[in-house]
This record gives sequence, C-alpha cells and structure tokens, in this order.
Amino acid sequence: MPSFPTYGPDEIAALDGVAEAVLGVMGARGYTRHEPAILQPAHLFVDRSGEDIRRRTFELTDPSGQELCLRPDLTIPTCKFQVDSGAAYPARLCYHGLAFRHQPGAGQFWQAGAELLGLADRGAGDAEMMGLAAEAVRAGGVKEFSMIVGDLGLFHTLVDALDVPAQWRGRLKRHVWRTGYFETLLARMVAGETSSAQRAVDALHGLKLMELKPAIDALIDQEGEAPLGGRTREEIIERLTLQACDEAAPRLDPEVANLILAFLKVSGPCEAALEQIRSLTKPVAAKMLKPLAAMADRLHALKALDIDPERIRFVAHFGRNLEYYTGFVFEFWTRAGEVAGGGRYDTLLESLGAPRGTTAVGCAIRTERLLAARGLT
Amino acid sequence: MSDLVTLAIPSKGRLKEQVDAFFAKDGIVLKQIAGARGYRAAVEGHPGIDVMLLSSSEIAASLANGDVHLGVTGEDLIREAAPELETRVALLKTLGFGFADVVVAVPASWIDVSTMADLDDICAAYAARHKKRLRIATKYTQLTRSHFASAGISDYRIVPSAGATEGAPTAGTAEAIVDITTTGATLTANGLKILDDGVILKSQANLAQSLLADWTPAQKAAAAAFLAPLGVELSE
Repeated sequence: MPSFPTYGPDEIAALDGVAEAVLGVMGARGYTRHEPAILQPAHLFVDRSGEDIRRRTFELTDPSGQELCLRPDLTIPTCKFQVDSGAAYPARLCYHGLAFRHQPGAGQFWQAGAELLGLADRGAGDAEMMGLAAEAVRAGGVKEFSMIVGDLGLFHTLVDALDVPAQWRGRLKRHVWRTGYFETLLARMVAGETSSAQRAVDALHGLKLMELKPAIDALIDQEGEAPLGGRTREEIIERLTLQACDEAAPRLDPEVANLILAFLKVSGPCEAALEQIRSLTKPVAAKMLKPLAAMADRLHALKALDIDPERIRFVAHFGRNLEYYTGFVFEFWTRAGEVAGGGRYDTLLESLGAPRGTTAVGCAIRTERLLAARGLT
Repeated sequence: MSDLVTLAIPSKGRLKEQVDAFFAKDGIVLKQIAGARGYRAAVEGHPGIDVMLLSSSEIAASLANGDVHLGVTGEDLIREAAPELETRVALLKTLGFGFADVVVAVPASWIDVSTMADLDDICAAYAARHKKRLRIATKYTQLTRSHFASAGISDYRIVPSAGATEGAPTAGTAEAIVDITTTGATLTANGLKILDDGVILKSQANLAQSLLADWTPAQKAAAAAFLAPLGVELSE
C-alpha cells in the first residue's frame, strides 16, 4: 500500500527553501525555469523508455480513450518543449516539480533538474553539468558527499575494438548493466549459440555479397503471405547480411570474454581505477585513447570543483538504469542515499524531432533527499 | 457476509461441460438454483457450498481479489490476474483439460528470428530505425512483462488486445503477439511462428483457492469436506 503524505507548514517551507537555493544556482548560470504539464501523453515516455519505465508509470485513460500518464520524469517533456518551440541551441533549461512512479512509499517525489541541450563541445558540457550539480547540492545545504562516475562509452568502444562477432556487439552493449543476465549471455556466446534462425544464416555462408540479397529475398518469399509486422524487407536483409559476414557458427573467444569481465569488475577511487582500465585494455590501446582522455578530462574538471578524488569512485559497469542515457553518468551520494544524478543522453533530442546529433547532458537533484541528508549531519 | 463457501465455476461453453463432468466423476452433483437465472447453483449434500457461475476471467480476478473462496479456471488467467501468485492464490489441483500454451509469436517472414535473443536484437534495431518501440499485442500484460524482463527485453511496448490477437501483425496494429494456442494452427494460418524459447506458460484448468478471501474455521471445514472426495486439501 502506498503512503499519501501531506506536507505541513514547516516541511513545505523547508522544501521551498532548498528548491529556491538549488534553482538560484541554476538561474545564476543562465538556466531558465520551465514547468511541464503533470499530465502527459503516455506514448511520449513509453516510446523512449520502453516497458521498464511503463510498469513504474501511473497510466490513465481519458474519456476519448487516449492513454495518459502522470509524468515519471521531467527531462523528456522539458526536452520536447525545447524541440517543439524551435528555440536556438545551445539551450539551458531547469525545473523543480513532482515526478510520479510506482515505488515503495509515496508514489511521488520532488526533483529539481537542469538540461544543457545542443552544446557541441561535449567535454565542456560534462564539466558544466557536474559543476552545476555540485554547486546546487552544496547550496542545498549538503557539503559532505561522495560521487560515482561511469561511462558506458568506454565499454562500447572496447566491444567494437575486440574480436567479437559483429552480430553480438549490440547485445553486449545493451545488457551490460543487467547483472547476472549479462554473465549468462557471455557464457552462451562462448559456448556458441545455435537456433533455427542460425540455420537460415548457415545456408547463406559462402555466397558473395551481391548474391546475398536475392538469396534472402527468396527465403522470405518462401513464407508466402506472412505479414512483415512493421519491419521492412531491408531490415531483415541487413541483419542476415551482417550475420552471414561473421564466421559460420560464431563463438566468442574465452580470452575476450575474460577481458570483458575483468574490465567490468574495475571499481574504485577514480585515478587508480582509470589506470587499471588503461593497463587492462593495452591490446586495443589506440582505440581506447579518445574515451579514456574524455574521462580523464572529467576527473580533472572535478578536481577544479574542489571534490576530493579519493571520494570519487569510477565504476566500469555503472550506467543509469534509464534507457535514454548514452554513456557518461554521475551520481552524488550521502548517508541519506543518492541526492543527485545525471549524465549524457545524446540521442533523446533527435528522437523528439531535433536535428541529428543534437547533444544533451543534464542532472536531477532530489530536493527532499537533500533535506534528509541535512538532517543526518 | 454469509457463512457459505463460494465456489466459482465457468458459466458456459466447453469448459463448463468439462467442469461438470470432472465433479460428477467423483459423485459431486451441481444443481442449478431455480430463479437464479443460471448464475447460481448448489452442491447436493454440501449445503455450505454456494456455487457461482462466472466467466473464466472473472473467476481469475475474483480469486486474486479474495471475492470468492474457491474457483475453477485456467492457470494462464489466474497468473495474469495475480502477479504475486504465492501470496494471493493457491493452485490446488490441475484438472487435465482446458490445455493452452501462452506463447510469443512473430511473423513467419522474419526468417532471421527464432529466439527471444533474436527478438531482443530486433526490438533494439526497430527502436533505433523507426524511432518508436516495437509493439506486442496481447491480453496477457503481466505474463508478457515478466517473460520479456527475464529475457532482458525492454525496448518494446504492449498494445492491449481484447480479441483476435493473432490478426494484429497483419492488420498492422502490432509487430508480434503473445497469445494462447493449443495446436498452433491459428497462428500458422495468420502467418505467425512461435519462438523456440517462446513458450511462457503451459496452462490448463486448475482448481484454485483464494488466500485473500476471509476463511472462518466453519468455512474451512465445509470446504475440506467438499474437496475430500476429489483428493484435494486446502492450502494454509
């Protein structure tokens, strides 16, 4: 059973005070405040975050049958407003309001947030956002905190650089944060998977590239009137062509699997952890140069913010469990739990209709948790 | 609240006949109550049992909510209505009829897809290419979510379907489906195929007990006496 809290005069005054301090920091840095509607069209979230978010979203239907929801986050509607408004980039937007999720306790929580959209220099954007979050947390009255940082972009680059069958790279990247499932997936790849679809691919081996398309077309034609279900023939041909270009009966080299597992186990004080990553990935050092340099730059920016490097953990498998995040992520922790978090979501704006390659980085600050953390110190 | 034990059984169709035959086999005779318009029945020799005739899905929902004490319906419907099954419903006995598999089926023309892992690839590629989620039509929202979650798939969306789910990919209202099948013939006729690891549940009719219903000692005794000839014991 959820709880239904009512804020008394003292609590609401305290929350207003924290929100004002946090929004003040954002305003001083050029972020303009927005307040998206609480009631939103459900597809806006479901189409971008999938069923994982949907099962935690309060959905309802209006009398005409349209599916609505209480906003499970404010990032997507805020970004949509920017795209629809046609305003210039880079844009700096912020908010403070309630978000609603099915979760233990109250189904609602307050959060402030900032979005930096369309800044081409990603490194500068990362530094600005971490600085903004750190200053906002401090302005909210919490001076003692630790940080976790991660960048699944490092993992993506590693998977592309290693000798992994091309058709499996996407699977490894998608499931890296699913502990347990990911290890099983790797083991299955080492053992070599076979399925009836694999037999379709086996029939294609030995064909020249230009012979593949007509051969696949003929295989699809054998299914007669079967529907394509929203996929195009080209999608099927592309995927089978990719698989046919891998070796027959693909397997993952156990040494490659071990390197991936060792990489994902790296976790510790940031400088030592990054050094560990460097030595582990030496066989593909040239390809890792760029993402490793980007991470080193971020740590450098954090030093300039007067955050003790010993209190910053780098965790190789750390990605936020929200699917529009694309790589770099960070969180601020206190004894009251996570008080702020953010990262990059460089594909979200394009999915909302912005020009291709429009960048995005943002953060959210849990104002109620800041109050709780203050009470504990 | 009366002191009667409510037993819900299917009100019509083949399942009703099979349920009647199942009880009759052990000498239990259900008698329609005159004037109750066919929605109530009594059990000869068991005045403590009040039989209600409901639709199969109403029976599942009533078991899940504790609105009836006992019920006979498909395991698929019970699991769909009661996601945290262990705390809400006890499955007392499988009845050997009403067989149906809940399966994941995709268009047969997807010759590159035969496993949930393939479907996972397709869902991600579809989202990247079409900027929307691949749609799964089903009336089994809960079963679909938990099966897809265990296969690591989240890049999809469920389209609730009230009937004729197997036609959704042809009609263009969904890309793939989760539905029940007995022989697979309807799926084949609609140009669909079942994934190798796409059987979510092998279901059949079950005699089930609601754990959320109020059970007085007298009701427990009446239910136990009624169930004894069937070789069934109540769960705690």
